[in-house]
Amino acid sequence: MYGRTGLVLLVVVAAIVWILPSYYTGLLTLIGLYALVTIGLNLFMGYAGQVSLGQAAFFGVGAYTSATFAVKANITPWLGMVLGAIVAALVAYALSFVALRLRENLLALATLALGIVINVVFNQWDFIGGTSGLKDIPGFTIGSFTFDQRAYAILAWALVAVGIWFAGNLVRSSFGRSLIAISAGELGAQALGVHSERLKRQTFVLSAVYAGAAGAIYASQASYIDPTSFSFLLSVNFVLMSVIGGLRSLWGAVIGATVVVALGQILQNVVPVVLPSARGDFQSFFLGVILIAMLILLPRGITSRLSEARRA
Amino acid sequence: MTAIPVATATLEVRSVTMRFGGVLAVDDVSFSARTGEVLGVMGPNGAGKTTLFNVISGVQRPTSGDVSLRGVRLTGRSVEDVASCGVTRTFQTPVMFWGLTVRESVEVALAAREFGGTYPPAPLRELAPCGLGSPGRRHAQAALRERADVLLAGAGIAAMADRATESLAFGEERLLELARALAVEPTVLLLDEPLSGLNPDEVDAVIASIRAARTDGVAVLLVEHAVGELLSVADRVVVLDHGRMIAEGLPAQVAADPVVIDAYIGDELE
Amino acid sequence: MMASLWQYVLSGVVDGAIFALVAAGFVLIYQVTGLINFAQGEFAMIGAMTAAALATAGMPTLAAAGIAVLAAAVVGALCYLLAIRPARKSTGVTLIFITLGLDVALRGLALFVWGTNPLSLNAFSSGNAIALFGGALPPQAMWVLGSDVIVFAALYLFFRHTYAGTAVRAAVANPPIASTFGIPLRTFAFWSFVVAAAIGGLGGVMIAPITSATYDMGLTLGLAGFVAAVLGGLDSLPGALVGGFVLGIVEHVAGGLWSTGWEQGVGFLILVLVLVLRPQGLLGRATRRA
Ligand SMILES: Nc1ncnc2c1ncn2[C@@H]1O[C@H](COP(=O)(O)OP(=O)(O)OP(=O)(O)O)[C@@H](O)[C@H]1O
Ligand SMILES: [Mg+2]
Repeated sequence: MYGRTGLVLLVVVAAIVWILPSYYTGLLTLIGLYALVTIGLNLFMGYAGQVSLGQAAFFGVGAYTSATFAVKANITPWLGMVLGAIVAALVAYALSFVALRLRENLLALATLALGIVINVVFNQWDFIGGTSGLKDIPGFTIGSFTFDQRAYAILAWALVAVGIWFAGNLVRSSFGRSLIAISAGELGAQALGVHSERLKRQTFVLSAVYAGAAGAIYASQASYIDPTSFSFLLSVNFVLMSVIGGLRSLWGAVIGATVVVALGQILQNVVPVVLPSARGDFQSFFLGVILIAMLILLPRGITSRLSEARRA
Repeated sequence: MTAIPVATATLEVRSVTMRFGGVLAVDDVSFSARTGEVLGVMGPNGAGKTTLFNVISGVQRPTSGDVSLRGVRLTGRSVEDVASCGVTRTFQTPVMFWGLTVRESVEVALAAREFGGTYPPAPLRELAPCGLGSPGRRHAQAALRERADVLLAGAGIAAMADRATESLAFGEERLLELARALAVEPTVLLLDEPLSGLNPDEVDAVIASIRAARTDGVAVLLVEHAVGELLSVADRVVVLDHGRMIAEGLPAQVAADPVVIDAYIGDELE
Repeated sequence: MMASLWQYVLSGVVDGAIFALVAAGFVLIYQVTGLINFAQGEFAMIGAMTAAALATAGMPTLAAAGIAVLAAAVVGALCYLLAIRPARKSTGVTLIFITLGLDVALRGLALFVWGTNPLSLNAFSSGNAIALFGGALPPQAMWVLGSDVIVFAALYLFFRHTYAGTAVRAAVANPPIASTFGIPLRTFAFWSFVVAAAIGGLGGVMIAPITSATYDMGLTLGLAGFVAAVLGGLDSLPGALVGGFVLGIVEHVAGGLWSTGWEQGVGFLILVLVLVLRPQGLLGRATRRA
């Protein structure tokens, strides 16, 4: 069901990019990439019941890995994407030994801290561009065709289709059910022999794979990255996408990414008209307020309402 | 973790002591449990019964002493490793897997048993056979479902297989927890007050399940305040009071033991 | 070399005293509500920005500082009433996300109100730097350290020597029993936000003359406060004090000897090490999960 709907979505995207202005096609790509990150995040937060406030760091690791290989060693972004996912997975694997011993409050703190440490590394490591970042990152190519915005949108949404199909199979498998059991009653699951720490680690690593692959595409599509592109605020945005769509929902990830990106655009266009003095990342005020309002009014996300409506 | 042959399994508790600050919750307790027997664990409130279960199941590490299962040391292992060795438990307050249905909860336990609770290269393993609903995956899921339904029928809750665990009444939670524990085919089963809060029908169902498990060769450790039921179902009884083991023997002997009666009455007078 | 090292330590003490104030706010809220308030750093930002903006508009520095602390307290009260209280029945993770939303929203709000330009605030007293064994403390240091002494002494007296303080400790130790005794947990939660915000605001007011005030200073300050609080032990007010100073000194020494960009990284590495090796912190109590 996830697989087929994902395919349909891909076909729709592949069709509308031909009529969409290139600016909006770029946004569509961004939505796809963020959705990919959020699908991974939902596995970790929604299904396994954990918290990550550092997901932007994995997105950044994927982006920096692919971009560095491409800029410094002229390695094709196709391979860079795989490497980005792998390096992000390795980083997550290493960090999991620190982070996953903790729960809730402290896990949130630890992932936040680790995300910022990684951002400090981006800033301080001159080989990967330091504070000024990496410019002129080579794009994806097939033969002599260099990707344009349309091709990036299709690539991103092809990955969304694959990613959601895979995640869909996962959550309906024993693995996914064990994750839900862990999030509801970890000790109870352990007493049945569920190796909760290993399962949480695998899920954390998997979420980093999603983020890393998405980040790698982002680097090539934007052709320029610097540490501010992967800040704490982006991690908060990913949380917002999860929460808006519904943490324990895979389609929620797609909806959440769409809503947040669209909202950002609307705010960017509307707010300066109403309040000419607004500058900088002023959208964050609204994002914060929406996050709080969602959690108070609809803590299980938009999709929970949709499925209730369908049932009724 | 290779499972220990059921026929020879024995749980050995040696000089276990558990201290919380100034409180001696378990004080130098030793006993063993044989396969195919129900060992009742009695004692007034705060005697240390739950703490003892926590130590055996790996939830807490004892201050001193150790627990082993047929020569394999359990102390120091994680809860899931102890479970993989064949020792599982229920909780005084049932732990429900909210978000799953009743049947799915049991399937989690069955899968934990089947895969040893790990899914080595989980994502890959899950990806390979499933495809877009491939026959292999469907077949495996149907098999799991069938086994889950057998266990639910055994616990007398077959009718609620598709209900959400959030919707269960307290007694139904207890029955589900028992079915889940039996799904991992334990060698040793620790039941912490499985009868409390149940209606008479449910009590009968649990007792029937305990007897059936015993017939299958499981060593059942049963903590229960309903002394009548405990004495009728147990083959042997140990009695704790203030962390110390004050009696051990056949139900009839223990029931008549003045030390035991003293402990209970003393507790009531306190 | 030794001389400059000593100077790093002295600068670290000043920062550390401010971190300790932010950390005290964390600990207070955590003790009373069990919640880590990710917006704590923004209370400091509100304090700093309000004071600097009022002073720039011509108000005397100390008056501006006083009003700024009040403003932070009011913001704290609003945060509790509008965001935390309506969601008090939620699970831990939801509440974490809510405070995260508060953090982001307050920062965005500050951007609306004050824009991106840094605002400066005069030191509270003029005069020369205070020489100390070959190093120098800025005059502001006395104000910072003084407010640490007052805040921590007041908190100590409250918790140890007043009925309300004892009631809070009882309530924290055993919430169900506390409510049977009619201890008003919800009122305590409200006041913990108000007081934590005021203390955080005070920290912001104190640091404004040293670093100047910007709308986005709350994140850095808040994170430093977290690290200090976790380092000292989330349930320990003395721990917040110790953690603040340790962090301030370590950051300045590491930043001075190495490079300033790594300062924050060092702080977080400490945080991670503490979380792994001694999650209860330096002075916290070990708690056991059943
Ligand atoms: N984590 C802990 N920290 C401190 N003391 C504890 C802890 N767990 C148990 N205790 C104490 O150890 C003693 C034994 O408790 P335990 O829960 O094992 O008793 P029990 O026999 O199961 O009682 P009940 O029949 O009421 O369930 C009690 O005095 C209890 O207060
Ligand atoms: Mg008990």
